[in-house]
Amino acid sequence: MDSLITAAARALAAGDPLGALNRVALREDAPALALRGIAMAQLGDFDRAKILVRRAARAFSPKEAVARARCIVAEAEIALVSRDLGWRVKALDAARATLEAHGDHVNAAHARYLEIRRLLLIGRLDEAERFLAELDPTQVPPASTAAHELIVAGLAMRRLRTKEARAALARAERAALQARIPALKGEVESAFHLLNTPAARLIARGEERPLLLEDVEALQTSKAFVVDACRHVVRDANTFVSLARRPVLFALARALAEAWPADVPRATLIARAFRGKHADESHRARLRVEMGRLRAVLKKLAGVNATKQGFALTPRSAREVVVLARPVEEQHGAVLAFLTDGESWSSSALALALGASQRTVQRALDELSAAGKVQWFGRGRARRWMTPPMPGFTTTLLLPAPLPSD
Amino acid sequence: MKQSAAEILREYGPFPDIAQVHGLTFDGENVWFASGDKLNALDPETGKTVRSMDVAAHAGTAFDGQHLFQIAEDRIQKIDPKTGDVLTTIPAPGGGDSGLAWAEGTLWVGQYRDRKIHQIDPETGKILRTIESKRFVTGVTWVDGELWHGTWEGDESELMRIDPQTGEVLEKLDMPPGMGVSGLESDGGDQFFCGGGNSGKVRAVRRPRR
Repeated sequence: MDSLITAAARALAAGDPLGALNRVALREDAPALALRGIAMAQLGDFDRAKILVRRAARAFSPKEAVARARCIVAEAEIALVSRDLGWRVKALDAARATLEAHGDHVNAAHARYLEIRRLLLIGRLDEAERFLAELDPTQVPPASTAAHELIVAGLAMRRLRTKEARAALARAERAALQARIPALKGEVESAFHLLNTPAARLIARGEERPLLLEDVEALQTSKAFVVDACRHVVRDANTFVSLARRPVLFALARALAEAWPADVPRATLIARAFRGKHADESHRARLRVEMGRLRAVLKKLAGVNATKQGFALTPRSAREVVVLARPVEEQHGAVLAFLTDGESWSSSALALALGASQRTVQRALDELSAAGKVQWFGRGRARRWMTPPMPGFTTTLLLPAPLPSD
Repeated sequence: MKQSAAEILREYGPFPDIAQVHGLTFDGENVWFASGDKLNALDPETGKTVRSMDVAAHAGTAFDGQHLFQIAEDRIQKIDPKTGDVLTTIPAPGGGDSGLAWAEGTLWVGQYRDRKIHQIDPETGKILRTIESKRFVTGVTWVDGELWHGTWEGDESELMRIDPQTGEVLEKLDMPPGMGVSGLESDGGDQFFCGGGNSGKVRAVRRPRR
């Protein structure tokens, strides 16, 4: 309907955001603002992109509900990619309903995928799975199909269902090829890479070996007594005990499991659990108390017996005791686990995802930064954190076209 | 002001490999419509496309009896319909150029969101005068001394006859919901041809009898 807008939109679709910007650089009307915003997003300037699409959404008239809704979806996607997880979920859901009501099913589905990706990032897997089940990946364009299958794979990997993850990635690969978006193909490749990289370490009878995700999955169904240091749980074939909020008990359980079938000297246990250098009488008393607590929580899984010099573990039904640990152990593992997705995060988004205070996260980031394990860019509130590039789940921008005529 | 529902006489398309229909015009035999990077000739009798020319075609299209005029980006191209060659170009009047019509030896250019129609000199592109409409202007056409333009905002689209002096709306034909008018041309008789934007269709609409 508008020559320059049509030309700019065509340039954008052909992967030429600079060409698009050239055509609408000086225009302040709603479609031009929307196109400029999407072009800026594709060029990686998310802050400016967000402001532009937000202005565009306001500049469209109330009659142009579809155009407005698409701008809101675009803003949500830009926020998601820049890991600003605090965006208005309600506004996105309202936009999705508007698109659905006006028959724009493709962008309505796109909006839903954004909601699901956010849930996935903040670890609300059940909700993500429920929403995902309502969507049909065959009813959307190939790019969205690829995104759908990547989410399925991501969920399956987090749920330790590796066969399902591989099948979903194979489907994602086919869809990405069809969509002809190199970045999407790259995402699938790095997801495959993740599946083929050791996901954990197994410590058993004093020896260590790396485990692929498949091996971790197999361990879930084995009869062994497992102390899982990735999730801070203890379990065997029948029983499951979470010690995520009881770090002292977990440290003790892990020390005992690593030494099994041997026992662990009291001094070692005190050092591991309380970080005390010298075991004095008060530490010994405290150790007795904590051991009593550990005995109580592990009652169904294993006995915790006093020996001459310390304590030893006696599993009830399991024949083997193993420890499952992160491939590389380091402090602030939880913070790193989020950053290793290869995207940039704000410290407030990390705090939201981790359920920790922003101050705690900031301290962890400062320490990791000093150790060279994370890097940052931007200043003040715009500061973003990321790990040096490594494979992981990234999020390609598949922004909706802002104009109902397109 | 008279208001009535637009009567759709016929729908053409969607056509293979054509996602959008922007401007259109009628040369007495074929309807020429712009589809982004092509101008296509449609035989309104058979409903088949008979020709297409590779030329940038982002908005309005017009015919002066000899040449085609086509808006692309920020200029208006004058095209030889036999060869598809761009003979000359003139600057388009403003940022949001939409519809294009030929009448009285001049070009008339609709500006979509600015709600304006400019009369311009076809040799230089100089603006001779400007009519203010109350609505978004898509396609523009002149027929029997009547100035008609399309309007399209969100789900609502209409054909409107306006007073060429004051811009006052004299008559309105409401398109069915969800059917937009991106380009407009009369066949000189009792029907209009309308470009259907992203529907990829061309529609014939009855022109009210006097």
